[in-house]
Amino acid sequence: MKALKLKRDDLYTYLESLKSYGELWGPVAKGEKYVYARLTNVRDVALGALRTIIPPKKFFVPPRFTMFRYTDDHYAESFDDVKPRVLFGLHPCDIHGLLILDELFLERFPDPYYKRRRDATAIVGLSCIPDDKCMARSTNTHAVEGGFDLAFNELGNNYLVWIGSSLGDDLVRLNLDLFSEDIEPEDLKTYLAWRRKRDSRYKLSFDLTGMPDIMELSWDSPMWNELAEKCLACGSCSMVCPTCNCYNVRDVSDLTLNSGVRERHWDSCMNKEYALVAGGHNFREARAERLKLWYTHKLKAFITEYGKPSCVGCGRCIDTCPVDINVAEVIRGLTGQKVTL
Amino acid sequence: MNNKPKVGFYSFSGCEGDLLTILHCEDELLDIFSAVDIRSFRMASSERHDDENLDIAFIEGSITTNKHVKKLKVIRERSKIVVALGTCACYGGPQSARLGYNDWEERFKKVYGSAKLTVAKPFESQPLDEFIKVDYRIPGCPIDKYQFFYALTRLAKGMPVELTKFPVCAECKWNENECLLLKGQLCLGPITAGGCNSRCPNHGLPCIGCWGPTDEANVASEINLLKEKDFSAEEIINKLRLFGGAGMVRRFGELLGIKPKEEKTLSKTQGVSKKKREKK
Repeated sequence: MKALKLKRDDLYTYLESLKSYGELWGPVAKGEKYVYARLTNVRDVALGALRTIIPPKKFFVPPRFTMFRYTDDHYAESFDDVKPRVLFGLHPCDIHGLLILDELFLERFPDPYYKRRRDATAIVGLSCIPDDKCMARSTNTHAVEGGFDLAFNELGNNYLVWIGSSLGDDLVRLNLDLFSEDIEPEDLKTYLAWRRKRDSRYKLSFDLTGMPDIMELSWDSPMWNELAEKCLACGSCSMVCPTCNCYNVRDVSDLTLNSGVRERHWDSCMNKEYALVAGGHNFREARAERLKLWYTHKLKAFITEYGKPSCVGCGRCIDTCPVDINVAEVIRGLTGQKVTL
Repeated sequence: MNNKPKVGFYSFSGCEGDLLTILHCEDELLDIFSAVDIRSFRMASSERHDDENLDIAFIEGSITTNKHVKKLKVIRERSKIVVALGTCACYGGPQSARLGYNDWEERFKKVYGSAKLTVAKPFESQPLDEFIKVDYRIPGCPIDKYQFFYALTRLAKGMPVELTKFPVCAECKWNENECLLLKGQLCLGPITAGGCNSRCPNHGLPCIGCWGPTDEANVASEINLLKEKDFSAEEIINKLRLFGGAGMVRRFGELLGIKPKEEKTLSKTQGVSKKKREKK
């Protein structure tokens, strides 16, 4: 990974240059929240945005999309919306979220819809200072060592720009004159001071060591029923989680009845029908069972299989759940800390 | 010969907004009329064949008089599949907002005085399934045309219909709306059936529950949450009942201050119509 420097004042000029690679997308304000949107005007970018309502997974597994169009004897896959894109402003937790999705969608059973979109997209990270809902330090996803093409890190009046891939190198060359290679001893000091500042801002801190054991021992905990009584089963937690990736598939016929589309849309294990199988049996009829599954997946099953939790500490569930059921509350409950529900 | 499914569209008490939604599909109307054989649709055509058997009957509106009941039962007898179209047919609609309070006669007198009724005997507005077996429900005020197309094409192919089961919140997240509940508004999104593409929150308006409750609605928690946000019990209950009708009263009556009522003679009616159908 090579590091370069870019003057803060040159950021917008460089963002403009990135457009020659493809569509430029980044966080913009929507009311009091943020969403990833097309940056037609680079000055619309919200550099202080911490978390968007929906994580960047929406670019690779859109909430709903057409997989293919079919007729009686033929089908054609649809990749109409796949085009070169630069996503700017992804924070480390969201990059870790994508790395988890990569393991699921690119490894054992590569998903062509995910892969085509992923391959067409350049990832440009941006450092951040956490707020009281961030817990990425606990999940060890507060910094990135990969998973990006470029990563911008605040450094006084400059950005430290890490090149993470050969595509990243190409992106720098879109406007090479803006970058400098003069890294000075002072820069290291500034960088370390910035790191200390970031780490000191985490209000939420959890020891997730041995979480699978704790989950296993909590299988019959009354906490699940208590949470289920409050849970609205609205599924919002799944929709906003960077690593939730379940989907449903359905065929939608045209009115002519001999053609149509197969579409995919996000689903959630919080939906009652999720575990309903042919014959009418439902493996997780009770809300408590579904809640337990959601958290077992994040804090136990994924750790057992991949060696890390599938929570990246982005704080979206904390920010979203109307009745305050979230990963922080559940960890508190499981580890015998005071629950503030 | 024409082997397309025979379909009828019928309307009882309501604004006919659901049938109007279908008629407003200018771009798709020809395809709809080609996909199925429409035998009755009074808003579309004066030609009606009300004596034939149907494959599918789409019925909108709620049931408010004894005459309705008679007509409704005849449609049920004639139809293999009955689809309740729109929230009035599914749950009774806004005219069923006071279902279960047993104050219908009082309200009637307030509006009509002691006028003598000769045409039909009216009663508290009820959804279709209070009187007949309903095979599918397509809620909405009005319905969403794409959900209707989806149901129509599935039924035309002889397949079962699976409509959206998750609440408005899911689509509201897909559309990346700011959560109106979190902003302190009285939003019924978490307990209301989705499929509307979160139309109201997309425009900054809280969900008023016009598609009726989801199967999994946690109404008790929603009420607690809204109370914490300083809405009065009356305000909350009125909002829940506005479109919730029988969908709210039957399942969550106690939460709304209504004593639980014994299940109506629904199964009986069902049994009768089934037997009669078999005879034929």
